[in-house]
Amino acid sequence: MRRLVLLLLALTVCGGVCAQRIEPPASGPANPTFGAPPDTRLPPSVPSSPGMPELIVDLSQPRVSITSAFQGESLLLFGMFDPPGEIVVVVQGPAARETVMRKERFLGLWLNTGRLQFDDVPAYYFIAASAPLQRLLARGAGGEILSLEDRLATIRPARQRSPAQLAEFRQGLVEVKRREDLYPANFGHVTVQAARLFRAELPFPSRLPEGVYDVRTYLLRDGKIITAVSRPLPVGKVGFSAQLAGWSGEQGPLYGLAAIVMALVLGWLGGAMLRRL
Amino acid sequence: MEIYLPIAEQSMNVFLLFGLGGAAGLLAGMFGVGGGFLATPLLIFVGIPPAVAVASQANQVIANSVSSLQVQWRRGNVDLRMGLVLLLGGMLGSSAGVSLFTWLKAIGQIDFVIAVLYVILLSSIGLLMLFESASTYFKRRRNPTAPRGKLHTHYLVHRLPGKMRFYKSKLYISAFLPIGLGFVIGILSAILGVGGGFVLVPAMIYLLGMPTTVVIGTSNFQILFVAANVTFLQAATNGTVDVVLALLLILGGVVGAPIGSRIAARLPGVVLRALMGVLVMAVATELLFELLRTPASPYSLGPREVLP
Repeated sequence: MRRLVLLLLALTVCGGVCAQRIEPPASGPANPTFGAPPDTRLPPSVPSSPGMPELIVDLSQPRVSITSAFQGESLLLFGMFDPPGEIVVVVQGPAARETVMRKERFLGLWLNTGRLQFDDVPAYYFIAASAPLQRLLARGAGGEILSLEDRLATIRPARQRSPAQLAEFRQGLVEVKRREDLYPANFGHVTVQAARLFRAELPFPSRLPEGVYDVRTYLLRDGKIITAVSRPLPVGKVGFSAQLAGWSGEQGPLYGLAAIVMALVLGWLGGAMLRRL
Repeated sequence: MEIYLPIAEQSMNVFLLFGLGGAAGLLAGMFGVGGGFLATPLLIFVGIPPAVAVASQANQVIANSVSSLQVQWRRGNVDLRMGLVLLLGGMLGSSAGVSLFTWLKAIGQIDFVIAVLYVILLSSIGLLMLFESASTYFKRRRNPTAPRGKLHTHYLVHRLPGKMRFYKSKLYISAFLPIGLGFVIGILSAILGVGGGFVLVPAMIYLLGMPTTVVIGTSNFQILFVAANVTFLQAATNGTVDVVLALLLILGGVVGAPIGSRIAARLPGVVLRALMGVLVMAVATELLFELLRTPASPYSLGPREVLP
């Protein structure tokens, strides 16, 4: 029953509206635009051959909404493919410049002495696969599908450093991101059912940077990418949180005044209560 | 129960934050200081970014000082003239402090500066309080009817130019002294997110020689406006005031303060000051330990910059 519902959902929601199809990359160098947000200039997905597309993907939610009660969220990615094949899902947060700082001991105290900026660092990176990823990548899809290590090998330091230092700071970056669950340490599992339905859990932690995430699903056959579907996943604050954050960002002085008035009123009332007691 | 803090950009337990506010309020009620010196390090310790902790705590200090100012004003314990002179320095200092904060944040040293300043300030004040309460205790035991000496001792600071009369405080001192004091407290307020009462009150007693009756009210007066200035500037320049966080801290404080003042009413002043000294020393020791201990990971991330 559940499979049927999933299948129906997949068919109705994803009838070419939400997903955009990406042609498998030509053989040769790795696709350099991989880190960029999904290209919206492409026409919406049109199956390359008439009839059923080979890969259909949908998410349990069209966006990740950061509300006042947000504590992190797990999204369900599900879909259907033409067997045989293996499924790999790569979720990538928006790229930004990150500053990695390193503490060192100075006169017995620990303080930040080293720092290095990296450009094009994905805010979030998660891979799930229906088979051990190393095996899939070893068979030739490595140019397009990047493990976290390979993806981070592409980030550029803002300043030139020795390879040893670069490696250290890159490792530091991974350490911090791991700590915040933004680079989940384990590969996720894509569960395949009835040889053609698949599902995967995408874990998003509470401290989640905003932006448009890219959820890319690949269908692999004999180590070759047959087709790929990319779905933008907007992550953003909604409701009260969004209003406050927007207000704080755009109307800073007014927001500050409102905060002062709130504190004055509550403090005054608190003081009045204190006298009564 | 978790709540998402829109500016800190993370979820946090409501009761934890409420409890932190309550502890700060308890201190405010017991000792007449803001309690920010305890709340800000704890907020940072539970994972709130220092910039947000400091700015939101400044917002909380407003509520704290307005409720105790209410009481002090009614009792006539505010030296308005002294308060305004202090405030002149305080406004300049807090404005400079917010700029300094922004700069330190940009070079990635704000956490370190906050921790070091706290260790230095808290340990010196804690020791001062402990010694003072110990010596009062022993003096009283030895000679309970010792005559009162001069109101305060006269030394170098009383020879500065620009003297002003402060009738309520029974002082004739240079205006530069309170202006300078206000300036320093303003900087501390902006960088540490504290009202600065825990520095201002001893300084007013020992440095300016103000009578203790007007000290709390006058310091509350100055702190209220300085905290408002810090809140405004932090919101306008850094956008780091989290009103959801501040609201929880304020509500906690409203509950904690009356409990604190009840406890204070039952304990003698010497015991209160000794307790306060112990508490301040404990926070200072913990912060020092944090600075000396090898961190679990030496790496951290600065702010993300989304490039166009």
